[in-house]
Amino acid sequence: MNNSIKMIIVLTSIALVSGVVLSGVSNWAAPHIESNRIAETEAAIYLVHNNARSYKKIETEFGKVYKVYDEEGIPIGYSIVSEGNGFQGKIRLMIGVDTALTKITAIEILEQVETPGLGSRITEDEFKNQFRNLSAQPSVNWVKGKTPEKPNEIEAITGATISSKSVCAIINDVLQKARIEKQSNKL
Amino acid sequence: MKKQISYWKEFSKGLWEINPTFKQVLGMCPTLAVTVSAINGVAMALATTFVLIFSSMLISTIRKLVPSQVRIAAYIVIIATFVTIADFVMKAKFPELSKALGPFVPLIVVNCVILGRAEAFASKNNPLRSLLDALGNGTGFLIALTLMGSIRELLGNRTIFGYQLLPESFQPLLIMILPAGAFITLGLMMGLANIYMNKKKKSEIDSVISKYKESKATFEESKA
Amino acid sequence: MSNLENQSVNLIPKLELSSSPHIHSRYTTQQVMWLVNLSLVPVIISAVIFFGLYQLIVIGVSCASAIISEAIVKKIRGAEITIYDGSAFLTGLLLGLIIPPNFSLTATAIGSAFAIIIGKELFGGLGYNIFNPALIGRAFLQAAYPVAMTTWSKPNFAVDTVTSATPLAAFKFDKIVTEIKPLIIGNVGGSIGETSALAIIIGGIFLIGIKIVNWRIPLSMILSLLFFSSIFWFIDPLKYPNPLFHLFSGGFLLGAFFMATDWVTSPYTSTGMWIYGLLISLIIVVIRLFGGLPEGVMYSILIMNAFVPLINKFTHPKIFGEGK
Repeated sequence: MNNSIKMIIVLTSIALVSGVVLSGVSNWAAPHIESNRIAETEAAIYLVHNNARSYKKIETEFGKVYKVYDEEGIPIGYSIVSEGNGFQGKIRLMIGVDTALTKITAIEILEQVETPGLGSRITEDEFKNQFRNLSAQPSVNWVKGKTPEKPNEIEAITGATISSKSVCAIINDVLQKARIEKQSNKL
Repeated sequence: MKKQISYWKEFSKGLWEINPTFKQVLGMCPTLAVTVSAINGVAMALATTFVLIFSSMLISTIRKLVPSQVRIAAYIVIIATFVTIADFVMKAKFPELSKALGPFVPLIVVNCVILGRAEAFASKNNPLRSLLDALGNGTGFLIALTLMGSIRELLGNRTIFGYQLLPESFQPLLIMILPAGAFITLGLMMGLANIYMNKKKKSEIDSVISKYKESKATFEESKA
Repeated sequence: MSNLENQSVNLIPKLELSSSPHIHSRYTTQQVMWLVNLSLVPVIISAVIFFGLYQLIVIGVSCASAIISEAIVKKIRGAEITIYDGSAFLTGLLLGLIIPPNFSLTATAIGSAFAIIIGKELFGGLGYNIFNPALIGRAFLQAAYPVAMTTWSKPNFAVDTVTSATPLAAFKFDKIVTEIKPLIIGNVGGSIGETSALAIIIGGIFLIGIKIVNWRIPLSMILSLLFFSSIFWFIDPLKYPNPLFHLFSGGFLLGAFFMATDWVTSPYTSTGMWIYGLLISLIIVVIRLFGGLPEGVMYSILIMNAFVPLINKFTHPKIFGEGK
């Protein structure tokens, strides 16, 4: 009996001390972690819109959309966060589009777990730059093994067709949803 | 009561004799998973060492207060506390590194090196010895992970700590930064360590045998 | 102290132990290896015809690297140098035949060295290796150089409609089913020695004829492949390719005659051979139809290699009078 009381006391006090210490550390770290996260998001928002100076966050059914404005406060487009399945796991993208949702300004890969050296090449500039000023009308298409001819085409990475395809699919999917929202004047 | 070994020995045994990776074969999950680059290996080992040192010392300090039935629970709470602290600090101050190590920082809680040292050493020895033991084991872990990270980064990406060491003409072996490469590297490193140990052991046995024969010969000579 | 003396005496083995293959046959291991090498000559000729003389250099580098690695490892281990028994040559030759045409020579040499050092010698050398060394080498190259390993050259007599992609990749990604005739002759994209079904069958039948290769494994693999692929073909002939396409495309025949039949890494009981072949083909069909990769012969054989000791154990014939 005596022993079980001792067990309870010891475990409780260890847990108590641990709780106090952790809440202290958490209080100190929380603002840092939050500011890191915001800085990261902001950097990504501006990365896909070079001329943007400020942004407004819009919560939509399909995720977060950031409406971005230039120096004079005129809306110049949207930065949309979207994710979908790649070859091995989730790919999270920041997609920059113009206000009409017809032209992509740029894209940025936020997270991916594709095969190193193959699918992970979607993070390389050579691939991402193909999306600069790419037409998304009616949708983004990909070609394999040849130079793209149409304004809405990109060339898939050799050996990583599925990852390249996934990026296009994520973009097309989210743009379609965004267009519906746009029609109902929610954006 | 067994003879106490020297403080230096308490520290240095973790480097090689009971090296967590090569000898105890503990903490394999982070060893295999995060060592895609040297810097990841170092960061992981440092975080583990931090937790190891503080939890070992604390556990050693309170070792006489904790009833043996709940000792594992108590150890885990203590270890988890330090891991959470390490995780928060990394997230706040080194967000890039924390992202690279991903879920493996919280998983230090279940790293067998830490619980292993707590159970096998800290719960039976005083705080000073526990500190030295933790430092030694942490350093051993650091050496192993840095070595593995360096080899894999060099062959898989031509670089070590981000500095390019192999020429452009070297085609990087992608397998080295894939999980398969981790197993191959670890296996070969352990194999080499075993070859070295076996040679050492054999030469020790040989020297004992030759000494014995020598003394026998001199003994018989004196008898004659 | 005298214990120590005894211990050192005990280190000397009293019993000669050896691992499979210890099948009694009319050939020595050395003769077998060189006969298998000889049987690959038609395949090499087909490779030269369809992909050019340069492939001889690729194959040569692969063989040379295998032999040199074997010699070096044997020297380090202090074992007898057995490079003339042809087994290292065979590993190099097989590896040279299952990599893409015009493959980088450095990478070929690395893959071949890996096959011998890690795939064979680290397990103890010939007779002790669990996995087929040539396939280990290829699996390594596949993971190390994924882009180069899936970059195919057009065959020499390609008609315009033939792309450089392998027939299996063309099917997987573009739903194009290649006709059977070019598949049999070998005028399609693919690894150096895997495209010509005809050349492989000639070599395979030669090996079966001189009783080096047991006919059960290839036959079991072929029947099983036809059976499982037919099931899917009957379900939906548009979605799944026909069984003959499965049979003659990719590395299936080369695998069935030359890889899966490796003495060391295949079962030694007759029942075991049937089970082994059946399961290899089942895995091949599953990978080809539902996997992320277009081809699965290499992984299927490697997976089943791991099961060989188990198959041997379960199909081991009962000795008369032995208890249950």
